[in-house]
Amino acid sequence: MKDQWTDRLSEYLDGELGAAERAALEGHLATCGECGATLAELRRVVARAGALDDRPPTADLWPAIAEHIGVVSLPARRARRRIVFTVPQLAAASVALALVSSATAWLLIRAGARAPVAEAPTPAPSAPATPATAAMYPDKRYAAQVADLERALERGRGQLDTTTVRVIEKNLRIINRAIREAQSALAADPANSYLNLHLAQEMRRKLELLRQAAALAGARS
Amino acid sequence: MLTTLTTLAALALQQTDTTVPVRSGARLEVNNFGGEIAVKTWSRSAVRVEANHSSRDRIQIVASDQSVHVKSEGGRHGPGTIDYNITVPTWMALNLSGVYTDIKVAGAQNEVTAETVQGEVTVLGGSGTVSLKSVQGSVTLEKAKGRIDLNSVNEEIKATEISGDISAETVNGGITLLQIESANTEANTVNGDITYDGTIKDAGRYRFSTHDGDLRISVPEKANVSVSVSTFNGDFNACFPVKLTGKTKHRFSFTIGSGSARLEVESFDGDIKLCRPGQVSKNESDKEEE
Repeated sequence: MKDQWTDRLSEYLDGELGAAERAALEGHLATCGECGATLAELRRVVARAGALDDRPPTADLWPAIAEHIGVVSLPARRARRRIVFTVPQLAAASVALALVSSATAWLLIRAGARAPVAEAPTPAPSAPATPATAAMYPDKRYAAQVADLERALERGRGQLDTTTVRVIEKNLRIINRAIREAQSALAADPANSYLNLHLAQEMRRKLELLRQAAALAGARS
Repeated sequence: MLTTLTTLAALALQQTDTTVPVRSGARLEVNNFGGEIAVKTWSRSAVRVEANHSSRDRIQIVASDQSVHVKSEGGRHGPGTIDYNITVPTWMALNLSGVYTDIKVAGAQNEVTAETVQGEVTVLGGSGTVSLKSVQGSVTLEKAKGRIDLNSVNEEIKATEISGDISAETVNGGITLLQIESANTEANTVNGDITYDGTIKDAGRYRFSTHDGDLRISVPEKANVSVSVSTFNGDFNACFPVKLTGKTKHRFSFTIGSGSARLEVESFDGDIKLCRPGQVSKNESDKEEE
């Protein structure tokens, strides 16, 4: 069960907490084994991600995972190779999504529908962000984190039972389908707060399953 | 020929039966790669470990004031399949884990943590933090109280006669929560139905969400609750009259009594039904019979 600090661990890891919150969290970590374990897992994923090449995932291993995770450029991956993703952030991303036009949402779905993952040109860093870019930006971070977890999983995949791999792939497909359906509904009704939150929830769930699978693979290797 | 095979089988199988005394407050930790962990309780301050295993496996029982740790060594052949029957004091906290392992607990009266990858988790009892997880197996809990965390990926979750804060989550399976006494319950799945039959306490928080499945939730007659209903492709109905407010295309709300509790029910592609306690369980039974 999550406690109030679970979603703050990535901020802690990135040094983004204030002194008081940091001290409070460190006090909590001394007594909460679950948060300690989650933090250790995050550190492992960050360390792994930092040591990896910027190659796309091997196409034949996780096609189901690669589906619909969006388009991420190499510079964006390098710049964003850290674990920062919380439900509130997703919700914020979803609200931002709601502010852009249906056309943007349509583009998002089209971009997400491309599989396998491809590199796409991104605006120069100095270019002013358009509303569409701003709306897409959190999704890129999400995609980068999914890709990082896939790689961690990829490294440990050989340690997992084939049945377990099949089950994980099957459940990722189920979540991906839910994400696609939510995105599709959102395209028709971009201001719908339920759909935004529902999409955020399914995206969070996908990340959690990938984390769980990566941890399993890591534990067995 | 049959005699020879029987003799070989007898040689290959080995039984371990060891009892160690434990001090009050000690925790049991068991890690079993494959097989079963079955834990039951007794009134003695001792832990009895019975194990059926290959003669290649060696059972290690390490006891200290703080814990009794049970694990095995499989030598160069790696870990084997071991069936544990462990008897512990009722007060003992349990930390059980495995990979290809079924986990069963009966009669625990303290914290229970159970995690497996391919196997079912079935627990009767538990108090304080009760955390049960399986990737590929179902998770079942009965007669527990405290902070309950139930998690599966590819199977269903069932909890009955539970008191306390509940979090239940799976991806591909239903969630059934019956005879629940809770002020804080959250259940969500992607592909499955959710049934909740329990209390709605003043100032409580309840959230039930599925993507592709139906929701059947009980609301007691005298509840004070603000209800928020969201469904994209489903219908809503209630066994009692409600006056809708704040109605939008896919979302609406209504208040019963003072509205101090908050109930959120969401299904993207399924129906939502609110009924009185008992009616929800009856519907569940009817459905199983069908």
